[in-house]
Formats: sequence, structure tokens, C-alpha cells
Amino acid sequence: MMTSKRSPLTTHVLNTSDGVPAARVSLSLHRLDSQLKLWNMLNMGMTDEDGRCPGLISREAFLPGMYKLRFETGAYWTSLERDSFYPYAEVVFTVTDSMQNIHLPLLMSCFSYSTYMGS
Amino acid sequence: QLSTTMASPLTTHVLNTAKGVPVANIALSLHRLDHSTETWLLINAGHTNTDGRFPGLITKQEFLCGVYKLRFETARYWESMGEPSFYPYAEIVFTISDPDQKYHIPLLLSQYSYSTYRGS
Repeated sequence: MMTSKRSPLTTHVLNTSDGVPAARVSLSLHRLDSQLKLWNMLNMGMTDEDGRCPGLISREAFLPGMYKLRFETGAYWTSLERDSFYPYAEVVFTVTDSMQNIHLPLLMSCFSYSTYMGS
Repeated sequence: QLSTTMASPLTTHVLNTAKGVPVANIALSLHRLDHSTETWLLINAGHTNTDGRFPGLITKQEFLCGVYKLRFETARYWESMGEPSFYPYAEIVFTISDPDQKYHIPLLLSQYSYSTYRGS
């Protein structure tokens, strides 16, 4: 993970059951290779104590295309000894302009999740 | 759509939260994960009705324990409304541990957000 310049893509994972940030959620970022129809993994990491994951991608690598953020939500709830309905949550989104800044939060409980394009 | 006299144990309901209306005629598909090959088996595909629902999604016989995926062609829906959107599609992957229960999986949708929950 990088760098002094902020990633153009940021996330924030929140545990809405307990009203706390979801810390130590494993996640990975992928970009679709539109020719081969394959997902290339660009980065992987884990949310910090605040539920954030700085340094997801550099501006240079943030090319227009289709991306996927995958959150290992099932493993997170298992670590809290709770059952959950979803083994993971994948959010697939489109980047049209490399100069955009995209904030992609994930709000989750054991039996729900939501995401939105934020700021 | 599969026709069935008994209600599907798995139902969905797609809602447009930007306009406060059901999402009619959105393409969706249901898949089950084959763990041995790590591939998705297509179970059913079609479009929601005018109420944003899809009766007959799966039969009781086919509704085995496992990992399922509901895929909603959301970008195509927004394009048909003449609107841009952020997500090319929304896939919800969930685990069925007790096929004797009923599972209701709504999708609440706007151009720049979506949410899902296990309902009733």
C-alpha cells in the first residue's frame, strides 16, 4: 500500500448492528480486463480501527473501467462469533473519469448491507 | 419464469428508492454455487413484473442448502429510464442453511446506492 497522496478511491466499513466501525475487515480491489473478461486484483488489505483502508489505489492506476471492491464480511462476523447471511459483499462500479474521487462506504449488519456513492 | 402452484421459498422485491416506485422489468438471474467446481449454476432468469417481484423464482425441490447469488441488471434498468448510474449490476451472494425457511431478499435501488436485507 502507498503513499503520501490520498487514494482517489476510499471506503469506510461500518457495523450498523453495534454502531461501530468495522475494523479488520479484509478487502480487495479488482479491475475488469474488458478484453479477457477477467478480474485483475490490484490491491488487498484490511480496514483499520476506524473501518477505513487508506492507499487503495494511486491516481495513476485509477484508469476508467469497471472495478470491484470485495469485502470479506462473512469472515468478519465469524470473528465476532455471529452468523451472517452473506459470505462476502462485492460492489461492482464504473469509473468514467480518472480525476474523480470516489468514496464507497459499506454499511453492514449480519442480515443487511448497503452501499452508496459518497464524498 | 418457472411456473409453480406453490409459492417460491425464495422471493425478491426490487424498489426504486429515487422515485418511490417498484422496479418493473429489470432482468435478474438466480444462481447456486457448485462448490466442487467453484462455478455458478444458473437456476432461473427473467424480469420482474410491474410490482417489482419475480414469482416462481425457485421450486422447493431445487431449494437446497448452499451459497446462492441473485444478480440484478441495474445499469440496463437505469439506461431504459434514460439515466446514468454508478453500478453496472448488483450481485447479492447469500447462504441458505435451512431450506425449510422462507427467504425474502429485497433490493432497494437508486442510481448511486443500493441496499439489501433479509426480510419477510
